[in-house]
Amino acid sequence: MHELTGYSFPNDLHVHWSLMIVMYPYITGFVAGAFIVSALFHVFGREEFRPVARLAMATSLCFMAVATLPLNLHLGHPERSWLVMVTPNLSSAMAGFGMLYSGYLLILVLEVWFVWRQEIITYARQSRGLKRTFYSALALGTYDQSPEAVAIDHRAATILAAIGLPGACMLHGYVGFIFGGIKANPWWSSPLMPVIFLLSAAVSGIALLSILYQVVAKLNGRSIEGRTVAALARWLWFFLILTITLELLEIIMLAYEKSESWHIISQLLTTRLEFSFITVQMVVGGLIPLILLGIVVLMDKYLHERIRNTLCITSSILLLIQVFSMRWNIVIGGQLLSKSMRGLRSPYSPEVFGREGVLMAIALVVLPFVLLWLFNRVLPIFGDDGHPPAAGQGGVEGGAATEARAA
Amino acid sequence: MEHARHVFRVVLVVIVALAAILIGRGFLVPKSHGVFGPYRGDNVVEQMKARPPAHQGAASCTPCHKAKAEARAAGSHKSVSCEVCHAPLLRHVADGKVTGPMPVDKAFTNCARCHRKIQGRPDKFPQVVLEQHVTTRLEGAVCLECHDPHSPKL
Amino acid sequence: MDHAPRPSAAPPPPPPCDAPADAARRDFLGAALQVTGGAVVLLAGLDAAASSEAHHPPPPGGDGYNWEEHRWAYVIDTSKCIGCGSCVRACKQENDVPEGFVRTWVERYISGPGGSYVDSPKGGLDGFPPVPTAFTPTKSFFVPKMCNHCKETPCVQVCPVGASYRTRDGVVMVDGKSCIGCGYCVQACPYGSRFLHPETHTAEKCTWCYHRITKGLKPACVEVCPTATRALGDMLREDDPVRHTIEHERVSIMQGHLLTEPQCFYLHLDMEVR
Repeated sequence: MHELTGYSFPNDLHVHWSLMIVMYPYITGFVAGAFIVSALFHVFGREEFRPVARLAMATSLCFMAVATLPLNLHLGHPERSWLVMVTPNLSSAMAGFGMLYSGYLLILVLEVWFVWRQEIITYARQSRGLKRTFYSALALGTYDQSPEAVAIDHRAATILAAIGLPGACMLHGYVGFIFGGIKANPWWSSPLMPVIFLLSAAVSGIALLSILYQVVAKLNGRSIEGRTVAALARWLWFFLILTITLELLEIIMLAYEKSESWHIISQLLTTRLEFSFITVQMVVGGLIPLILLGIVVLMDKYLHERIRNTLCITSSILLLIQVFSMRWNIVIGGQLLSKSMRGLRSPYSPEVFGREGVLMAIALVVLPFVLLWLFNRVLPIFGDDGHPPAAGQGGVEGGAATEARAA
Repeated sequence: MEHARHVFRVVLVVIVALAAILIGRGFLVPKSHGVFGPYRGDNVVEQMKARPPAHQGAASCTPCHKAKAEARAAGSHKSVSCEVCHAPLLRHVADGKVTGPMPVDKAFTNCARCHRKIQGRPDKFPQVVLEQHVTTRLEGAVCLECHDPHSPKL
Repeated sequence: MDHAPRPSAAPPPPPPCDAPADAARRDFLGAALQVTGGAVVLLAGLDAAASSEAHHPPPPGGDGYNWEEHRWAYVIDTSKCIGCGSCVRACKQENDVPEGFVRTWVERYISGPGGSYVDSPKGGLDGFPPVPTAFTPTKSFFVPKMCNHCKETPCVQVCPVGASYRTRDGVVMVDGKSCIGCGYCVQACPYGSRFLHPETHTAEKCTWCYHRITKGLKPACVEVCPTATRALGDMLREDDPVRHTIEHERVSIMQGHLLTEPQCFYLHLDMEVR
């Protein structure tokens, strides 16, 4: 191929999918990843995840509530966004959003309801006035706290978690499909895309929960379960290895096949994306957590609690950055190469203010934690003794604790 | 099943909500959607009527500008539509009536677009290196000092 | 399991009345609601099915134009193009194309054994300037481009709301009233022919001047081209010259490996052109 001199199609000079479109898979990644953590307990019964299971579910719900915001902020006509649900074009992966989002939201809300039902009934019984009306409505007017009902709740939560797991996977997998199905863009077009997105989501969710669990425990003066931290680290390491392998595999495959697009993609990676891909995504965000988590997992016996917890938190923070940079490199990186395959656009820097700006992105990440705090006020995640009530149970012990608090 | 009453209740709530959504959807789907395919059928006619055609072709200038049209048809610019150097007819005539003067671009840059020598044009096409072709300064309507735009070949 | 309330708490409200009559009433209400809900869902579905029936609906009206009688196609002879950009200007004026974007554009290719150079300053709107190249050029030519109005459109496939569509006469258009401005179609087009309008925030592109061709006129770009580089034809007309060219001469398409079946056919293309 001749020496390339950069040429972009005249219409290709604009980056249409902005920072908001980077935030959207980032946030739905947390939704899916947090749900995976929750499902590790509710579906696969791994006891070491019991302390984080309810926190994970609440986190998933709070991020879910925010998930549509980056999309609506980006749309040219957000006031028409309901058309995606009313006249969806079923050949479009984006149209799947409406159904997948609604379906998964329904499952998640139902699961939260079943898991917290006993507390809801207790609060309905013990509160007065507006609070009582609220909790009674939430309880749908049934106050059954018998062991059989509790067992049914338990069963329902398990079933919903089992359905919800593929639901969460599809909710984020389809985002990967949105990119993977675009044959026009060789940086995106790959069957690996949905898988990479999903594994990356698991990484971000587990990393977030690792941080959240330790931070929340510290804030409430509770002890951190070593088993839980170690288990989170183990699964995080596992998903990280898979993610990095596939991300590298994609590049290696492109380089090996040396298809026409490799010429421009290699330029993209070594010029426009040099910092965000090589430095941040692969080295700082990939290699270093890989080593740190490897130490945590392989040398678990020899590590002091403090060191293990610190290594975990450090790796998790680095991984949150890695997952963000991965989304950035795919969304923005894919638009930096022109469809002419002969040129790269000038680098994209997001605006600071404005509805698609950096401040808005920060607000979008902060908002779910605000919601999480509100959620905890209405439906406490942990019981007073520091441990979440056993799933499907917790009516009486939790009731006593909240009653003592209310007194 | 007595103890599963709350399950039935929540299922009922979900079914009612879904039904409400489906009914609501029925009202919101645009009327012409799906008539010809998965799109709003009315848009086809809307596109046909989107705007009045602005260009009408060189033949539309002839009725009022016979002399110029004949000169053009006999000269080397016979394949260059009037609307290339002037503007689309709609800027000048609407509903059979003159609405304003017809704009014209007399600057040398307009001629240069076709006739400046650059890489890419077919060899037989008449092109010149403007800086060598023009003996005076290259500015304004300098080409028109020698060439008649409607029959330019000297 | 201790169900009794704690002594210090206020007595809980009596549980909902469990009298058999109440239970029966509730059950009946529940069943009735479910049946009604089901019936309504069914009716909504039937209504939707009826409205989407496409058994030969009358063609969209407008001055006696019947879209069943036409299949538009486009031919570009790149050996004739002089790069004047008149087509780009005419399109801009005909369709109010916003500044910074183009619905059609012209590219210049200059190549030699030592390299190749491609440019399209403002899409060719003001013609092309002479350019020095680092290598010695041995061939150069212009390639006009626009939306290819593909048969297997990647853009229509990805539109989430069905705002982008292909008409029966083979023209791909965007319904500006339904478009939500997500930009997915812009990403999906391999030819770079789409853009988001900076003011209406909806997707736009070349429409083969649908408002003209349905009145028997030619698209603006074809109308003004001084060298007969461009031509729009009707594949359903017996004596159409464009149809004849496509069926009898060696024609190329852009990015054929993507199998989008574009309906813009090129004569005398070169390997450099993508």
